[in-house]
Amino acid sequence: MKAIIAATILGIVMMFAGLQMKNKSSVVTLAIVLAFLLLGVNIWDLVATPATAPVGYFNNMLRIDRYALWFSTLMTGVTVLYTLLVGKEIQKVGVHVAEYFALIFFILCGVYILSCYNNMLMLFLGIEILSIPQYILAGSDKKNLKSSEASLKYFLMGAFSTGILLMGITLLYGATGSFNIVAYSFLQSDALNPLALGGVIFVMIALGFKVSAAPMHMWTPDVYDGSPTPFTAYMATVVKASAFFAFIRLFQVSFGSISSQWTVVLSVITAATLLIGNLTAVFQQSVKRMLSYSSIAQAGFMLFAVLAVNAVAWQGIIIYAVAYSIATIGIFTVLMKLKDYTYDGFNGLAKKEPLLAFVTTIFLFSLAGIPLTGGFMAKYYVIQAVMVQNQFLWLVIFGLLMAAISVYYYFRVIIAMYFKEGNAELHAPVTQGEKVLLVITCGLVILIGIFPQLLLSWI
Amino acid sequence: MTQLVYLIPLFPLIGFLINGLGWRTIPKTAAGIIGSLAILASFVVSVGIFFEVNSPSFHGPVLVHLFDFIQTGKLYIPFTFQVDALSTLFLLIITGVGFLIHVYSTSYMHHDEGMVKYFAFLNLFVFSMLLLVLGANYLVMFIGWEGVGLCSYLLIGFWFKNRDYTNAAKKAFVMNRIGDLGFLVGMMMILFNYGTLSYGEFFGKLGTVPGALGENTYNWIAVCLFIGAIGKSAQIPLYTWLPDAMAGPTPVSALIHAATMVTAGIYMIARSSVLYNLAPFTLHIVAIIGLATAIFAATVAIKQYDIKKVLAYSTVSQLGFMFLALGVGAYTTAVFHVMTHAFFKALLFLGSGSVIHAMGGEQDIRLMGGLGKKMRITQITFLIGCLAISGIPGFSGFFSKDEILAATYAHDPILYYMALAAAMMTAFYMFRLYFLTFTGKFRGTHDQEHHLHESPSAMTIPLIVLAILSVVGGYVGLPAVISEHHALASYLSPVVSNAGEHHMAAGTEWLLMGLSSGLSVVMIIYAFTANKVPSFVPNTGLAKLLENKWYVDEIYDAVIVRPLAALSGLLDKFVEKSGIDGIVNGVGKGVRYGSDRIRMLQTGQVGFYIFVMVLGIVALFAITFFGVKL
Amino acid sequence: MNILMLVATNTPFNYFPVVLQLVVAVGFVVVMMAATHLLGPKRRTKDKLINFESGIPAIGNARQPMGIKYFLVAILFVLFDVEVIFFYPYAVNFKSLGLEGFYAVLLFVAFFFCGFYYIIKKGALEWED
Repeated sequence: MKAIIAATILGIVMMFAGLQMKNKSSVVTLAIVLAFLLLGVNIWDLVATPATAPVGYFNNMLRIDRYALWFSTLMTGVTVLYTLLVGKEIQKVGVHVAEYFALIFFILCGVYILSCYNNMLMLFLGIEILSIPQYILAGSDKKNLKSSEASLKYFLMGAFSTGILLMGITLLYGATGSFNIVAYSFLQSDALNPLALGGVIFVMIALGFKVSAAPMHMWTPDVYDGSPTPFTAYMATVVKASAFFAFIRLFQVSFGSISSQWTVVLSVITAATLLIGNLTAVFQQSVKRMLSYSSIAQAGFMLFAVLAVNAVAWQGIIIYAVAYSIATIGIFTVLMKLKDYTYDGFNGLAKKEPLLAFVTTIFLFSLAGIPLTGGFMAKYYVIQAVMVQNQFLWLVIFGLLMAAISVYYYFRVIIAMYFKEGNAELHAPVTQGEKVLLVITCGLVILIGIFPQLLLSWI
Repeated sequence: MTQLVYLIPLFPLIGFLINGLGWRTIPKTAAGIIGSLAILASFVVSVGIFFEVNSPSFHGPVLVHLFDFIQTGKLYIPFTFQVDALSTLFLLIITGVGFLIHVYSTSYMHHDEGMVKYFAFLNLFVFSMLLLVLGANYLVMFIGWEGVGLCSYLLIGFWFKNRDYTNAAKKAFVMNRIGDLGFLVGMMMILFNYGTLSYGEFFGKLGTVPGALGENTYNWIAVCLFIGAIGKSAQIPLYTWLPDAMAGPTPVSALIHAATMVTAGIYMIARSSVLYNLAPFTLHIVAIIGLATAIFAATVAIKQYDIKKVLAYSTVSQLGFMFLALGVGAYTTAVFHVMTHAFFKALLFLGSGSVIHAMGGEQDIRLMGGLGKKMRITQITFLIGCLAISGIPGFSGFFSKDEILAATYAHDPILYYMALAAAMMTAFYMFRLYFLTFTGKFRGTHDQEHHLHESPSAMTIPLIVLAILSVVGGYVGLPAVISEHHALASYLSPVVSNAGEHHMAAGTEWLLMGLSSGLSVVMIIYAFTANKVPSFVPNTGLAKLLENKWYVDEIYDAVIVRPLAALSGLLDKFVEKSGIDGIVNGVGKGVRYGSDRIRMLQTGQVGFYIFVMVLGIVALFAITFFGVKL
Repeated sequence: MNILMLVATNTPFNYFPVVLQLVVAVGFVVVMMAATHLLGPKRRTKDKLINFESGIPAIGNARQPMGIKYFLVAILFVLFDVEVIFFYPYAVNFKSLGLEGFYAVLLFVAFFFCGFYYIIKKGALEWED
């Protein structure tokens, strides 16, 4: 709760700081300080809240428990890492640097609401607070036509999905007379109200849109590709992860008891997401666009956690969210240093910047799920969650096949870096501080791969 | 103090990290000091822990929990260290002898370019070995086990520019991996049958919980673990890597042969003594393989001309003695021999290093001779080592080897006579080596003779220390006829339980001792008379067979390596190229084709996107309301 | 609880009238469109495709660029107008909400002014550049 207020206030502070501060780099410094402050508030919240009893706020519209607090803290931590790594690049996007950071704080406010909502209205509010700043960030590079296009497309399709979400909420309200997600446990009754089931499917589709699950994924490549790269990095990681957390929260807490009604549909969505994400990524020429397809593919794996209604799934989603976010932010950071975003742009990077090439390799290993990296443990946990459920073995096998395909397009980057002749051109030489940060990020990826329990220590 | 046990492997790890990360910038001398200090620090902590463990107030093993390693479902494996008599003894041997070898290396390797890297590897080696003996479950042991294998690969192939040396490294690695597979299977069987890998829990369940295969479970697990030990401790049939491991720098040979690596197999079986006591059949196999190795390696050593090769085969032979001791159930005796062997074998190897150093890299003993005049310290210490390994009364090797022989006699007199023969050969080939190297006239070139000199003190001081230890090291385990109190056995008794105590009449024991030491002296005299001047005439008959190590390498090559290579060539040609490649490329092409098609969906039109989405929604609703239900 | 009971007696068949209505609605549209398409006469001329500007020929493009400021001011007006509407329900419940409600509205107004101050400072309402 403290974090929600703090995120709002810090966002406003950031906005006003933009009016006063003319120097871009001092704005970035301020943003980093404020991000750390927000992390501190989160940790304070985490320590101050007792582990056993969840606290309800606003007539129980928000319900703050250990999972919510820990997830918020982790996401804030990832954001801190993001501002440290990418802050300098955000400066280059446009003139309104302070506003960009303000919008990121507002997004975090949405993240916090989504992690602890207990009411469908709060879900809606959280989704909107999360999305609207993104529409702006997507179009923040005003002089670039692709950026404006991305913004408009995202907005139009986002509005469409919002309509679907509201439709779902309406149907659920109509069937139950309540917005409270815990109250939906009524759905246990044998004769299921078709209205309610329709509502569940509509909500699933709307949330599926936010996490870019097929067939609601079509916006993703265009938006991720068109948006300024620093903001793509954020959209593809923290935002997507928290949409997933909202997804799993709703579908486990309130719809978990009728899982047999919706898991088949969700398994179809998962399979389609895995198939389309992985297959389409193979043919891309631009690494940035490949990463946007890979984010669809990774969403397919995270859907495993939603599909499995059990405790392991919660752990899986947390590990997956963090492992995937860190690796993706890392790889986007490297990408931003390069002049050419195609695979050819990576040619010969290993000779020119061995460290950069090495950390990129580790990040790609993690995304591909190679053991000893966080990505492996993440995949392990979500697959284990499905295996524990003892259903959908076919989906697990299918997922593993798709993971094998993913190795192809991830390793193309590694091959380009290490085995191809070329002169990878950088915008600017990589500074010592950036190298240290990248090595730390890389270390985190490996640390999660060895001790995934660390990420579960507070829940 | 025992809670500080994590410091022991930590210091070498830090040393490894410093030297490993800074191998380009750290000066050679500093690297040597860092490496040696790391081991010294570990040694100091080990001594402290030893005194605590040795005190009467110490009860049972202390488990030091570091962190949870694997925790999924029912499987729980903590990363825990176990401090008890056995692990502490090994700690002392590893860090103590290891430290001396490090000090020796600072001088021996000083001319080498890769000295910093060398010390990094050396520290990593010691770290792995410490992990191996400290682990409180088989998995931690296995991590150390693999780490040791890796480091041996790195160190044997240290001079990687020489093709033969890298081949030797590869051989060591592959042979070890074969053994590791046995260990791994054994571990899985333990996990499957008993659901744990912790020593305490596993041994506790052993007697009470029958495995899936009933009584045979014990034998199966024991055999699998023993296969691991065969690989690591160089027993028949996986011993061939050890003589080739001479390719590494000489101090590395000392480290591998004396203090660490090869003793891992002995440690593992001694650690699992509870299991082996329940598997008498396996124990029998252990004894036979140990004895066969002891005799076999000794015969080969008789006709070797490379100073390090002789020592290498003597190591294989001595390891055979240790396995013989394990096989007859005398675990403490085997550990005793590990300890004394660590002293005198490290001494002999470092001494040979000193000789090679003086000879400017020459290793053929036929081209040496009379070195004693120029290298007094090396000669005397080497002599002490030879006396110790030959089992001359008063030296450490006598006590441990005699104990092995006595235990074997109590078990089965026939085995005893065969072991005695192997011991006789030991005395012969060791003194053949000694006389050819240090006495007589110098047979090398004039340049070499001019160059001969005693090694610097950084090399001789470790020799002297080890020589002292080689003499006094045996007095912790006096024979029963001399003293009632066997210090080492009573120290180890809480951890290692010997199978069946044997008591024999004092007269018999005196007789056995007299017989073995008397025969050893005879063999030494025979070696003196037979080796005044070496013959350069090519060997024929049996001698040629021995010189070529019974052609075992060639047989392995013909029976295993070549057919395998031929088979894999065949598979490569037919199955791989046309079958598998075809399938793989076909799948790849299919994926690319599908990717190319699906890519077309991404038109860039928002209207089309929403259309697809609506179609999807309709389809999902259709599935929900009309499709299959779970 | 009564909702629960209601729900329990519902069966998909209860929604049959809805489905019927859907079928009729969609069917009507489809039938009508198909009918006009099939029955109506078709004359394809070029004139039909150009814009109709009261009979005179069209000059230039209808999509002229136009000052963004119009939009900006209009949107800001709508934004603030909508926010002010929140005062009506507060006015109705002024007494019953008491002091706590007053604080809430005060906070709301504070945020409100933050935004106002921000747009003024940003120069969004300056007409001249």
